[in-house]
Amino acid sequence: MSGPDGRGTRRVAVTGLGPVSNIGTGVREFGSGLRAGLVGYSKIRSFDPTGFPHAYAGEVPDFDPGPTLRRLEAGRWGRSGQFAAVAARLAVEDAGIAIDRRDARRVAVVMGTTSGESRLVDQLAAQAVAAGGYAGFDTNELTKLPAARLANAASEELGAAGLSVTLATACSASNYAIGYGFDLVAVGAADVVIAGGADSVCRWAHAGFYRLGALSEDRCSPFDRDRTGILTAEGGVALTLEAMDRAHARGARVYAEVFGYGLNCDARHMVTPNADSIAECMRLAHANAGVKPQEIDYICAHGTGTAINDQAEAQAVRQVFGANPPPMSSIKSMLGHTMGAASGFGAVAAVLAIAEGFLPPTANWSIPDPRFDWLDPVPNQSRPATVRVAQNNGFAFGGNNCITVFGALP
Amino acid sequence: MIETSVQKEDLREIVAEVLEVDTDELTDTDDFVEVYEADSLRAIEILARIEKKYKVEIPQSELAKMLNLDAVCEVVARYVGT
Amino acid sequence: MSADLVVTGRGVVCAAGIGTAAMTAALADGARPAPDVTALYSDAMPQPTGYALVDFDVRALLGRKGTTFLDRATGLALVAFGEALAEAGLVIDDESRTRVGIALGTTVGSLRSSADYSLETLVADRPYLVNPALFPNTVMNCASGQAAIRYGLRGVNSTVATGRVGFLGALGYAANVLRRGYASAMLVGAVEEFTPHTAWTHHRLRRPGQPGEAAAVFVLEPRANAVRAGRRVLAELAAIEEGYHPGDDPAERGALLAGCLSGVLAEAGAEPGQVQFAATTEAWNADDELIGRAAVAALPSARPVRVRDALGDCGAAAGALQFAALLDAGGRGTGVLAGWSPEGAFGAAVLRGRDRAEVA
Repeated sequence: MSGPDGRGTRRVAVTGLGPVSNIGTGVREFGSGLRAGLVGYSKIRSFDPTGFPHAYAGEVPDFDPGPTLRRLEAGRWGRSGQFAAVAARLAVEDAGIAIDRRDARRVAVVMGTTSGESRLVDQLAAQAVAAGGYAGFDTNELTKLPAARLANAASEELGAAGLSVTLATACSASNYAIGYGFDLVAVGAADVVIAGGADSVCRWAHAGFYRLGALSEDRCSPFDRDRTGILTAEGGVALTLEAMDRAHARGARVYAEVFGYGLNCDARHMVTPNADSIAECMRLAHANAGVKPQEIDYICAHGTGTAINDQAEAQAVRQVFGANPPPMSSIKSMLGHTMGAASGFGAVAAVLAIAEGFLPPTANWSIPDPRFDWLDPVPNQSRPATVRVAQNNGFAFGGNNCITVFGALP
Repeated sequence: MIETSVQKEDLREIVAEVLEVDTDELTDTDDFVEVYEADSLRAIEILARIEKKYKVEIPQSELAKMLNLDAVCEVVARYVGT
Repeated sequence: MSADLVVTGRGVVCAAGIGTAAMTAALADGARPAPDVTALYSDAMPQPTGYALVDFDVRALLGRKGTTFLDRATGLALVAFGEALAEAGLVIDDESRTRVGIALGTTVGSLRSSADYSLETLVADRPYLVNPALFPNTVMNCASGQAAIRYGLRGVNSTVATGRVGFLGALGYAANVLRRGYASAMLVGAVEEFTPHTAWTHHRLRRPGQPGEAAAVFVLEPRANAVRAGRRVLAELAAIEEGYHPGDDPAERGALLAGCLSGVLAEAGAEPGQVQFAATTEAWNADDELIGRAAVAALPSARPVRVRDALGDCGAAAGALQFAALLDAGGRGTGVLAGWSPEGAFGAAVLRGRDRAEVA
């Protein structure tokens, strides 16, 4: 039993990272992509964008789950489930964990998502149009549709028998998953939790964000004065969270420690972020993680690249950190907005910043926004830095804010 | 003259529905945000419905001007033409 | 369970009506014919009946403001949230609003909202001529986000998409939040809407019974808070556990679930023979039947609690309805809720009725 300090009775280590992204798959490729400021979006290929004025997205090119998967029959699962399963496999391999039947019950999976198997929704809609009614829905898509199957795909792939839960808290969902996973390990409900998220590029989200005026034409430029919005993107990501004593006992490499997280809800508007509420979420995260603002060396931003998000996020940082906030960069400048996976990729970036001593850049940045010209967005080039504590922001439709805090081992 | 007034009443209906008020509650000059609790999403919805109804494209930059019903009529008239 | 969690309020919306009494009356009848749904939608339906709350009128219930663009699932959930808060007498003010959270179970949110959004891109003059105001409905956390706005809840807010074990997933999540002290009370529930989309899903996947819809929400909080505030304890959540069964052997899955049940009973300090009511997932197929029988084989005096014959197949909300039925039926005894999904997720919870709960 722990109080609201959130650190719980057991410390929680990050021992494995499994990114499947448009700038690289696996921790090595992804990490060098971050360092190089690689941009992973391009002209849409997964659906026909004819008629859309904007036609760019961050698809994972030529994604093939086959070579990585060991147990999962990929054909029985949707694209987002496949992302989740591959990410989970990579995270477990990176951690050097073998899951056997004896300890399978102690391994849980928590995955976050915005739209689950959104590409199947596109297919169902097309079937309904073709058939002139919903009677045209095909059983293949319907069977694979439930969002639960993102976590389930990962559990199935790993042979993990602990709880298998998908959290659908939109664009902060991976942080929710990491937070829940952290708790499960901290209180002893699990020894290992594979936590992350997945989403797929789809037609309807592209249309929706375009219609809201939130979709950029071909580039994402967070924190730049002339930023024009997001690019939808996709991928899967997983972190291996493990009881610290267990990790030490088996001589595992520990990237970082999960210090804790904070979550709250704006409860004001479904799509417009609220700076005060975000600031409050930062304070909650700091309190739960047992850190002070001045101890934080790097903020991995939510940084969607919309006028309103970046303004609210910067304002909240100013409220909490005062005149000298730490550098804050947005990796969405490189990946686009991977929705439910976004804060999971952010967590990997934050953890790598700690473990490898560099700050990922904000790509496409050229002109400071006069409303927050004090901000250091780590423009365009990564740079070496000592990061002891990193904060990873995640905000979402529905006002679902969740911020995770990671730290270096003493 | 008759045509523009009909158009205004059509617009009033669209706006009233999006702002969740009766058409007779929606005046020509009251500010959508101040009086009817509009927000950016509802403003875009109004724009979208107008575009659909009149089959025109109105840039989102015009939203800043569409603060009340009269202003909406003005903007729409420029794009729908006469 | 170390945090000693109790239920102090419930809100139920289902085909039988709004409020727990309507559900109780419907369940007392055992089976109940499904209402005529032909007037509900203009789309072709697989059959003329279904367990929908046919006269549900969100605007009449919640007012005009903020209800025009709501999808059906969100509307149902909002009403259930309101009912649960009212029964518990939980007042949301500036002091409590950051400490009352939400965990809501779902399968895919509102399938109608997302699928029709996609459909609109295919049939509109131009693919981007979609309704901006409907876009928030396409995200799966719409109902919980809207509930937060309507009731001013700024605490933890989570949507748990575990499908057929949607309610158990949300219950486990909420229990963790309370155990960790992130909130002082959780509104925990699940929702599923009835639309042409869900009706056709049910039909195409050849599921038994008829499709239904429901939202059921419960106030869950540490006993100390309830006692301090003088709120009536309806029951105690004595234990909950979740797991996953990789592979698809139903016999193995049934044994695992039976083991899970005996585990939670042990944690709750209850003997299997004391279990008076058992609500288990109502079968979609022969495998489910087998799993269900194996799960409760060791509970000799447990009476089954079923909701499908009276209220339809309510997907993620089925477990929440069963939980409400357990609160009703098991008011003076011990009940278990056990569920599993076709993929292999499972969970079990022990509910101790109020007489036992009050003296515990």
